Amino acid sequence: MSTQTFHLPDVGEGLTEAEIVQWRVAPGDRVEVNDVLVEIETAKSLVELPSPFSGTVGELLAPEGQTVTVGAAIITIAGADAEADASSGLSAHGEPAAPTPSEDEAAGAVLVGYGTGGAVTSRRKRPAARAAAVTASVGVVAKPPVRKLARDLGVDLAQVAPSGPAGEVTRDDVVAHAQQASVFRNIATPAAPAVREHTIPVAPVASVAPAAPASAPAGGREETIPVKGVRKATASGMVRSAYTAPHVSVWTDVDATRTMELVKRLKASPDFADVKVSPLLIMARAVIWAARRTPMVNAAWIDNEDGSAEIHVRNYVNLGIAAATPRGLLVPNIKDAQDLSMRELARALEKLTLTAREGRSTPADQQGGTITITNIGVFGMDAGTPIINPGESGIVAMGTIRQKPWVVDGEVRPRFVTTVSGSFDHRVIDGDGMSRFIADVASILEEPALLLD
Amino acid sequence: MTTTAMPFAKALNAGLRAAMTADDHVLLMGEDIGKLGGVFRVTEGLQAEFGDRRVLDTPLAESGIVGTAIGLAMAGFRPVVEIQFDGFVFPAFDQITSQLAKLTNRHEGALRMPVVIRIPYGGHIGAVEHHQESPEAYFAHTPGLRVVSPSTPNDAYWMIQDAIASPDPVIFLEPKAKYWLKGEVDEAERALPLHASRIVRRGTDVTLVGHGAMVTTLLQAAALAESEGTSCEVVDVRSLSPIDYGPILDSVRRTGRMVYAQEAPGNVSVGSEVAATVMERAFFALESPVIRVSGFDVPFPPAKLEGIYLPDADRILEAVDRALAY
Amino acid sequence: MTPPDDPALVRVLAADGTFAPTPEAERYLPLIDALADADLETFYRDMVVVRAFDRQATNLQRQGQLALWPPSFGQEAAQVGSVRAARAQDHLFPSYREHVVATTRGVDPIDIIRVMRGLTHGGWDPTDPRNGNTRIYTLVLGSQTLHATGFGMGLVFDGRCGTGDPTRDEAVIVYYGDGASSQGDVHEAMVFANTYRTPEVFFLQNNQWAISVPVATQSRGPLYRRGAGYGMPSTLVDGNDVLASYAVSKLALDEARAGDGPHAIEALTYRMGAHTTSDDPTKYRTSDEEESWARRDPIARMRAHLRSRGAAASFFDEVDAEAAAYADDVRVRTNELGGLEASDMFAYAYSDAHPLVQEQERWLAEYEAALEGGVA
Repeated sequence: MSTQTFHLPDVGEGLTEAEIVQWRVAPGDRVEVNDVLVEIETAKSLVELPSPFSGTVGELLAPEGQTVTVGAAIITIAGADAEADASSGLSAHGEPAAPTPSEDEAAGAVLVGYGTGGAVTSRRKRPAARAAAVTASVGVVAKPPVRKLARDLGVDLAQVAPSGPAGEVTRDDVVAHAQQASVFRNIATPAAPAVREHTIPVAPVASVAPAAPASAPAGGREETIPVKGVRKATASGMVRSAYTAPHVSVWTDVDATRTMELVKRLKASPDFADVKVSPLLIMARAVIWAARRTPMVNAAWIDNEDGSAEIHVRNYVNLGIAAATPRGLLVPNIKDAQDLSMRELARALEKLTLTAREGRSTPADQQGGTITITNIGVFGMDAGTPIINPGESGIVAMGTIRQKPWVVDGEVRPRFVTTVSGSFDHRVIDGDGMSRFIADVASILEEPALLLD
Repeated sequence: MTTTAMPFAKALNAGLRAAMTADDHVLLMGEDIGKLGGVFRVTEGLQAEFGDRRVLDTPLAESGIVGTAIGLAMAGFRPVVEIQFDGFVFPAFDQITSQLAKLTNRHEGALRMPVVIRIPYGGHIGAVEHHQESPEAYFAHTPGLRVVSPSTPNDAYWMIQDAIASPDPVIFLEPKAKYWLKGEVDEAERALPLHASRIVRRGTDVTLVGHGAMVTTLLQAAALAESEGTSCEVVDVRSLSPIDYGPILDSVRRTGRMVYAQEAPGNVSVGSEVAATVMERAFFALESPVIRVSGFDVPFPPAKLEGIYLPDADRILEAVDRALAY
Repeated sequence: MTPPDDPALVRVLAADGTFAPTPEAERYLPLIDALADADLETFYRDMVVVRAFDRQATNLQRQGQLALWPPSFGQEAAQVGSVRAARAQDHLFPSYREHVVATTRGVDPIDIIRVMRGLTHGGWDPTDPRNGNTRIYTLVLGSQTLHATGFGMGLVFDGRCGTGDPTRDEAVIVYYGDGASSQGDVHEAMVFANTYRTPEVFFLQNNQWAISVPVATQSRGPLYRRGAGYGMPSTLVDGNDVLASYAVSKLALDEARAGDGPHAIEALTYRMGAHTTSDDPTKYRTSDEEESWARRDPIARMRAHLRSRGAAASFFDEVDAEAAAYADDVRVRTNELGGLEASDMFAYAYSDAHPLVQEQERWLAEYEAALEGGVA
């Protein structure tokens, strides 16, 4: 036995309110189910409301003359039987409303015909922060497939220069932008410094005497070649370099197809008709350009006699090319290679190579190098950990360029791929510097057009 | 596979005969379908063969025909109603939409409504008013109805039988301009289910989609386009409710462009629905917006203007040009 | 409109319950004489119980438990008489106000309630034997006359009537009102019924009002005369006289089932209540008119007749108690009714699987699960 509340129903298919015209019962009256409680007036007619409960009238919740909204409580009846519970009427969704302790508040949700107005509640879960891209590309003209491509490649359409006839961003525009963005973090080429070189003092550290070399094993099954001449000089240079400079090697693979295309075009160009053009030319230009961006690879660690040390940073590039000659390994260099045009560089490379091959490289040719390229690609090698040429801080190994599977526009395609590797003196250059340098060299191989600065 | 060449109307006739032979509770009802064999002769010879209790020449009252067909279905029959012309279905519209479409749902599945309503529709026969309309959208829009439209005699032969076999009400739209189109009919083997769509011509540049008589026009347009160097794929929708989007989407994902052509007025049409759905489901494949080629949104004109009103190959190709310009 | 003193009128019980057959009623007297006392008591009980049910249902609407209720108040005799005249094998096509027709044939009153409560459009399965071949309500006026005629055509084609054996021959009775009689579908139904000689009775309850429009607007002449225009026998009966209603219905059904073709009956009665609970009759008719019809009430008339035949007071008290209990049971069971699932919306749109419907059902389930309080 409990107190039940009767809420004003919608008695006419979509009514929203009614006026209390006349109460037919008073508080304390005994009522039975279906006894008339009240007469109301709706927009359509006068209606008598019969009681859903038996019991004693508790409270009349709306006075005569008042207009009441559908769903509002109008009367309580105490001692009502549970089975006559009108709160098991239909909720807004046609399901029985769950009985709640305070039915008065649940007013509108309890009855059939609850009216057509009222507050709106939302069950929708607020979406988590929307992807920012929703509005970023509004205003950009691009077809749906292009938009998807941009999204897949992580390209902000608003940043892409459109080249389509209607001013739309094309597929190619997006791809090109993506490639630049992924490869180049900072394509600015620094201005040429004013001085040719400057010196960085280094804090003194105890030097470590190199270990004595082990003695050669006794003969019989082995041949002994006396070491002298070029080999001897090379060897001692290697030792000096290897055991003095802490060598760190880094490398990266790169799609050099555009380099190969450029080489092909240059070869076919009248300007280069009389000069040898090879990927080494592009590599040489790449190294020169990258060295300007990371000058420390073009520096040298100098141990002074007084025990102090300093780093000579050279703002010119004497580009050494490691050459296998009849006399042995030589590293002649092209002086001030940074000042040479492409044609001049091609010429210089050609001359250097020819001279070295003929065994006519002079000592002067081999002195003063600031950075070296060693071409192991001609031997079919991809990468190596070359020994830095004494007096330098970095050496780049050019690997073989051959077709390999590469991912382009989301599909696997054969491209000309090569590895750019190098070794660096970690006293002079840190990991980020050497990595950036190698990455820059690779960038050029991937997109030689960057040289058009 | 042996096939027989026969006109569309004869294929329907054969299909009806097969259905009536297989089930003695299949009934045909309509105006002039018995002795006359129907104004398009689709039911020719059937009353003579099955009697006037299986092929009924009804009173002239479309609502009455459909309403009593509903009652017959309640009593265990499978009525196949013929509405003589598209423009005359409207008196029966209430029985079709308020009753036929909803009775199964109203009975919560306890009652089936295996009623087929055959309606000759579409233009291109130089007819007077009310004899050339395309009212398919009203029915495709009504939940509870199935709506199909064969475009070939072979489809006509099989689809009428499948429609009769369906437990649901089927609006069976017959392109009247094609009644005398001859085609090969394979009476041994059904090619496709009732509600399947079909790629009828392969191509690479644009997908042309349509139903009923328009399929022929699409093929004509595709042939012309080919001579201009554009390769069009053509899809015959076959079923307007439900629509089988599989082949349509597969095609659009390959070509990236779509044109829907229909005789019906374009505003709020089947073509509009297909365009919206393709936009939604193949959005990232679309190189151009889906373009609709439709009848103009005016009452169907007098026959002398029919050729201008109805989309032809040129109108379709104009849409193809627009699509390719994107 | 049909004047109440039309000479074609069949009536055996006067308004005060006296047994006073009209001239046209003579041919029906044998059928009435064949009724036992128990039959008469049944008729009375049927009417009292349904009126209590009807009143309770109206109250339930006023209590917010039903969206709508179309009362049958005042039309009990026409409905009880006709439904009791139908045989077990017959098929009944109501409109939407024939509550006692449905319940007498076996439909659970709660199933009618469920329709008005917004739980179902149909309510019951007409092919379930326990529902006595009662078709569901039809809300589009007059549509059911075509369905009934078509059904009747099916009975003819299948030889389920006209064999001469009334215990087996099936018939159809279709109910409609004076308002619906103007609908084109009703005309077409009569055309088809007479062309195909369906075993059918068109039972028109002329309750004088189509919502607020009086029957005079529907017809200049008496409605029962239309039947003859179609070539079928047509009878006018006092719809507030349960005995006359029974007799004319029985004869018409038995002649129809025997192969005579369709018959039409116009039962004159009165819609004592409003059209539905949304209606307000005070706006268009007078209390004088209502009172004049109250003096011709079908239940009062039958009670007087039964008393005159020696029915005990206890019988009437028992019937009242039974009616009260019946109505209260409906009230209690209505309050216990559950709700619907979203999936109910999709389950029956088609008999065969439909991809668009299935897709939308799936979508809705996922959508609901993603809302606050949703169950995945």
